[in-house]
Amino acid sequence: MSGEHDEHHHPSAWGPHHWDHGAPHNSWAPLMMSIGFGIFLFMLASAFNNDVVDASYIPLVMVGLLVVLFGLIIWWRQDMSFDGTYEPMSTGTPFKNIQIRKVGMWVFLMSEMMVFTSLFSTYIRYRTGIENCQTVFERGDWVEQGYTLETGEALICFEPASHLIASSWWHIAPGAINTFALIVSSFTIVQALRYASKPVGEIDENRRKKLVTRYLGSTWLLAIIFLTLKMVEWFIGFYVPEISFLGIHEHDIKSLVAEGYMINADHYHHHDWVDPVTGATMLADISVGASTFYVTTGTHGVHVFGGIVGLTYMTLKASRGGYTPKNAVSIEYFGLYWHFVDLVWVIVFPFFYLY
Amino acid sequence: MAVTSPLFNVLWDEYILWSLLVGVFTFGWLYHHSFAYRSTDGEKAGNVDELTVGVFPKHNDNLKLEVAWTVLPFLLIIYLTYISWAPLDHVWAAPGSDARGDECLEGQSSNNIFYEDTGFVNSECYHVIELTGQQWFWSFECNPPVNSEYSQRNYSLSADLCAVSSQMVEGYGMQPVINLKAGETYLLVMESEDVTHAPWFLELSTKEDVLQGQKTTMWLPMTETGESLILCTEYCGDSHSLMAAVVSVHS
Amino acid sequence: MNKEKIASRTLVIFVVLLMGMVAVPSATSLPTGVAGVKDSGCNCHGAVVSDSVVPILEGLPETYNYSEVYTLTIGFTGGPADPSNINQGGFNLWVSDGEIAPSDASVQSWNPNEVSHTDAGNDQTMWSVDWIAPSNDRNVEFILHTNSVNGNAGSPEGGTSGDEWNRLSIQVASPTVILEQANPYTVLTTLIVVSFVLLLMVLTFIFYQNNPDSFDWENFAPWVAGWLTTTDHKRVGTLYFLAGFFFLGIGGIMAILIRIQLMEPGNDFLTQDQYNQFFTLHGTTMIFLAAMPLINGAANWMVPLQIGAPDLAFPRLNAMSFWLQPVGAILIFTGVFSGTGADTGWTGYAPYIVSETAHSGTTMWVAGQILLVASSTLTGINFLTTIAVMRAEGMGWMQMPLFTWSILIANLMLFLSIPAFGVGLIQVYLDRVIGTAFYDAASGGDPLLWSHLFWYFGHPEVYVVIVPAFGIISEVIATSARRSVFGYRSMVYAMAGIGVVSFIVYGHHMFTSGMDPTLRFVTMLTTMLVAVPTGIKIFNWLMTMNGGSLVYRTHTLWALGFLVTFTLGGISGMFFPSMAMDLHFHESYFVVAHFHYVLVGGTVFGLFCGVYYWFPKMSGKMLDERLGVLHFLTAFITYNGVFWPMHRLGVWGMARRHHTYFISVDEVRGVDGEVITEAVIGALPPEAAGWNMFITVSAILFFFSNFLLIINVIISLIRGKDAPADPWGGWSFEWMTESPPPTPSFGRFEHGVWHDLPTLKDANEHIANEPSKLGEWFNRLMVADKEEVEN
Repeated sequence: MSGEHDEHHHPSAWGPHHWDHGAPHNSWAPLMMSIGFGIFLFMLASAFNNDVVDASYIPLVMVGLLVVLFGLIIWWRQDMSFDGTYEPMSTGTPFKNIQIRKVGMWVFLMSEMMVFTSLFSTYIRYRTGIENCQTVFERGDWVEQGYTLETGEALICFEPASHLIASSWWHIAPGAINTFALIVSSFTIVQALRYASKPVGEIDENRRKKLVTRYLGSTWLLAIIFLTLKMVEWFIGFYVPEISFLGIHEHDIKSLVAEGYMINADHYHHHDWVDPVTGATMLADISVGASTFYVTTGTHGVHVFGGIVGLTYMTLKASRGGYTPKNAVSIEYFGLYWHFVDLVWVIVFPFFYLY
Repeated sequence: MAVTSPLFNVLWDEYILWSLLVGVFTFGWLYHHSFAYRSTDGEKAGNVDELTVGVFPKHNDNLKLEVAWTVLPFLLIIYLTYISWAPLDHVWAAPGSDARGDECLEGQSSNNIFYEDTGFVNSECYHVIELTGQQWFWSFECNPPVNSEYSQRNYSLSADLCAVSSQMVEGYGMQPVINLKAGETYLLVMESEDVTHAPWFLELSTKEDVLQGQKTTMWLPMTETGESLILCTEYCGDSHSLMAAVVSVHS
Repeated sequence: MNKEKIASRTLVIFVVLLMGMVAVPSATSLPTGVAGVKDSGCNCHGAVVSDSVVPILEGLPETYNYSEVYTLTIGFTGGPADPSNINQGGFNLWVSDGEIAPSDASVQSWNPNEVSHTDAGNDQTMWSVDWIAPSNDRNVEFILHTNSVNGNAGSPEGGTSGDEWNRLSIQVASPTVILEQANPYTVLTTLIVVSFVLLLMVLTFIFYQNNPDSFDWENFAPWVAGWLTTTDHKRVGTLYFLAGFFFLGIGGIMAILIRIQLMEPGNDFLTQDQYNQFFTLHGTTMIFLAAMPLINGAANWMVPLQIGAPDLAFPRLNAMSFWLQPVGAILIFTGVFSGTGADTGWTGYAPYIVSETAHSGTTMWVAGQILLVASSTLTGINFLTTIAVMRAEGMGWMQMPLFTWSILIANLMLFLSIPAFGVGLIQVYLDRVIGTAFYDAASGGDPLLWSHLFWYFGHPEVYVVIVPAFGIISEVIATSARRSVFGYRSMVYAMAGIGVVSFIVYGHHMFTSGMDPTLRFVTMLTTMLVAVPTGIKIFNWLMTMNGGSLVYRTHTLWALGFLVTFTLGGISGMFFPSMAMDLHFHESYFVVAHFHYVLVGGTVFGLFCGVYYWFPKMSGKMLDERLGVLHFLTAFITYNGVFWPMHRLGVWGMARRHHTYFISVDEVRGVDGEVITEAVIGALPPEAAGWNMFITVSAILFFFSNFLLIINVIISLIRGKDAPADPWGGWSFEWMTESPPPTPSFGRFEHGVWHDLPTLKDANEHIANEPSKLGEWFNRLMVADKEEVEN
């Protein structure tokens, strides 16, 4: 039976594989990861039920994530020895002699494109279909209709995050820095690829190791900065000190959540929505707009997080001298993904932060 | 009342005719070839196109035939689209159009004219009534608030034109009844209190979703008298299947 | 025992435990629901179970009288309740039959069979309600939870602690002694478990059959572990088939339960609630857990073999796509075991799906679907890449076998549409779990957005399950007629046409949804257009037989049967784009008839055809032709008996997703004008009852007829004749390898390159050497060959 053949060459389904015998064979990783995802989704749904939180399930949510991580580690252990021995090439036209995995990556990005397209269609539907809170406020008829803080009645309108963010230069800073961070990280990943793929002899191997590690590491760092600033912007906020010679006064920049911009914000009022005539404060139900904002940028954030997980491994591997021209192409695969994530942000940023 | 509306029946008959023609043609062909070309020499049958493992077989095609059965079905569906087109104007006519007229003034009647050959009903004017759906019952309102989006009516409909009552319906329990008058056309303005519902006026062969926070409309041109059911046809939860109402049309 | 065996054994146990962890939380709550009110007594306070609280339920008879009203007194003693507290207690009473109604303002009704106290009633320890006994024979069960409250709920400490609750369960017998009617959940759950155990037993037996001498744990564990960890496309394909047929059976059982309920007007075999869950799970199971895995099974097995590839492009990813399916399935079924399964219909229309009236199992159903979406995306990546890059030497796009073409097109459609569904599901999941407001109409969410996202995926999805069947039928008809398929190129273009059109027709599901009439009109035109490529395919198949030498095998019969049923389904499909008719058909049994003609008569028959055609290749054993013919005849006849009458029922006015229906009766008057029979308004004319009974009987027969296939497969595995490499005389590469094929399927990998991969010859060399204008243009668009550049 074929199974015996497999066992002979691949004694362990935990990895590592002997790549010189072709494609990987038995592996526990797919089963483990699937179960992990299942437990995660089940326990998450048990832990949160709209506003009711059952904290006893939180550890089990973690168990789910741990099982996923466990599966991921098996997967990586199997790829750990990967040194470019096994890099299958296309045989069919029109992709002949192109790495199969590169084609696969492009195909994957095609579906990713559809994911963000769907999120954007949600955004466009709501952005164009629900009246903007600012417009409603300027028109002023909300006072007549009684949607005010005093009455406790909330008006449904679309409040783009950019309204809050545009209210102060400081608010936009994290997003702006993030944009630069991602653009620079696209550059650093290309640099890593450049040095990893320099033919042997043209570059000192120690120098190659150092440069590849440095560039992958800085990509990793930029991604971490991105997520950190995101957390600051969403949840933490920051403090601006007094810098008198620049005319900056000491004040706190509240996070979006602290401003009341939350996914279930049905009683939200922006800090400067006060009717100059009556002094009434407008109360809005902005949960649809906020949900769109958090889920779209959050999905992008998850992609960045996935990139960080990959980069952690790659940096570690590079620091051990794992990349040579023979397998440098795997940095290119990651780079394709990373450029895509960058590109999505370049579209997300103007739509959600500026417009 | 008939099981289905005349409008439906006219289209149905036409479609059945063409289905039969296509069916007889296709199945006749299938029947003939399954017998006429069955293998006569048993197991090691004649390998007509010399199929060989690892060799892409030689082409077996005939451009004229292939174009023929691309173009002919295409012509057929153009015809079918054409005959399905006219009823659309009828089903989704805008208020104020020729077929429907404007909202009736006090004492004015729709004077429905029924065309037997097409199943269309033309009316001079229409009455606006409201339907609200919620889990899991319907409620009709003959006299919706004045100056709503669809109605500028400044009088109440007489009980003869529209009245709401209720009645025991076998299996469904106590259900609302909307009493309408034959010869009159109604514009039903609908909204839901909770999830999506859809009233199916069985014997008018029509339905439209009822959404929360959004008004939808439906024409009810009444020609025949009788009683029939309204069922919910957009799944709405537990008692979905028992969410019914009765429409009763008198002369 | 070596280290490896210990490891694999540990892992098997680990896997079983993890699966158990997912299933157990819902199973332990039987029969009182997942984390519902009934689970924690009154859930308004963080109460704990305590024996010091004694629930009291008085006023119940030993046996009830039909329809009599009993006044029940509910109360409790003990616990921290004290008249000086702000609040003293609460209760929840659930009854299996009859109706309970509040008799004063201290009690409120949740459902006809469930009541609890109101805010006004929470400073009492005694309440009273009315119970109307059922009008038929039932053994009735009462479950009472009472909550004893210490009243610190409003205190500054925010104390919800210190409250205690307890449960009481009482049975009341029916007036006449009856055999307890089985709870349909119990029936379903038992059947699922029994089928699963049977499946395991059959698998164990097959293992024993292969190694009768070494039948012990030491060998068995690695064998099982080998299957759990396999990444070989053939073994994963087999796993897909196993899972697919298993769920086809489960979906079938639910269909039978649904049909038994609809057997006669006003039947009460299933409650509405159970019925709603069963049709939801029937649809979900059949589409996502039966049809898709079966197609993936065939694709996994045959695509690499047909294009002459050693394996798929990403074997480990392929295993991942498979294993996400059973895990997703467990989540989808989670609620059922405790009676709170998803009850949204397979379309899960918003806003019902995010409303609180939808069962708690709906969240898990959504979670399971998310995993299936992930699985399909991975499958799509894998197959698109494999077909694009791993075709054998000499096999251009226009030399691919039609089954491979169909899988390519199906995966392209699936892959470009399913992210929309995935995003929709994630939005719903977040709406239900963390309280986002995508579909909350009260906050401005738009229910139609869900319909758009769903059907943008949903319509390509139904083509995704039918197009592979087209591929199978093309292969089978050509091979059986001993001819090459008529109009290969127009077949490919027709399939591609269906693929393109599929994205712009979805609006026809929303003709009655209140969507803009302009959009409805556009989708009406495009939907009409689908008939053209479908017609081309049907006529090409018929023409393939022309001048052929048709060898009648089981698979030939299935292919001809497919032509009949699929053509009928296609014709009935033409009625829907005509909108004035669709307004009547929408959500009626006419729709049910149509899509079962296409999905059962099309997809399932196509897959059965494929199973009979490729089974010798997959297992190396021939199937029994006599059993096969018997299977075809019984299944084909009973199948038409099930679905043909449904067309008429739909026109009459039988609505889909209704747990029952009623018959209208005309008023009958005697000679003196006295009323003999009173008129009854129902949806359906009297003869509908007879047809429904006919459908149910046919459905049961259809269900059992398919066991002939399973019996056939088992017999053949045990003592079937050995199959030759090319039993039917096909031309594509899969018939080149041995039956069953070796691993890797073709060639061997040495020094970083594959050797001995097959090469395709072309009987139309002259044509192959002259690439078409389109082909040239396409090739120029892509990166040039390395050799080409060098030359």
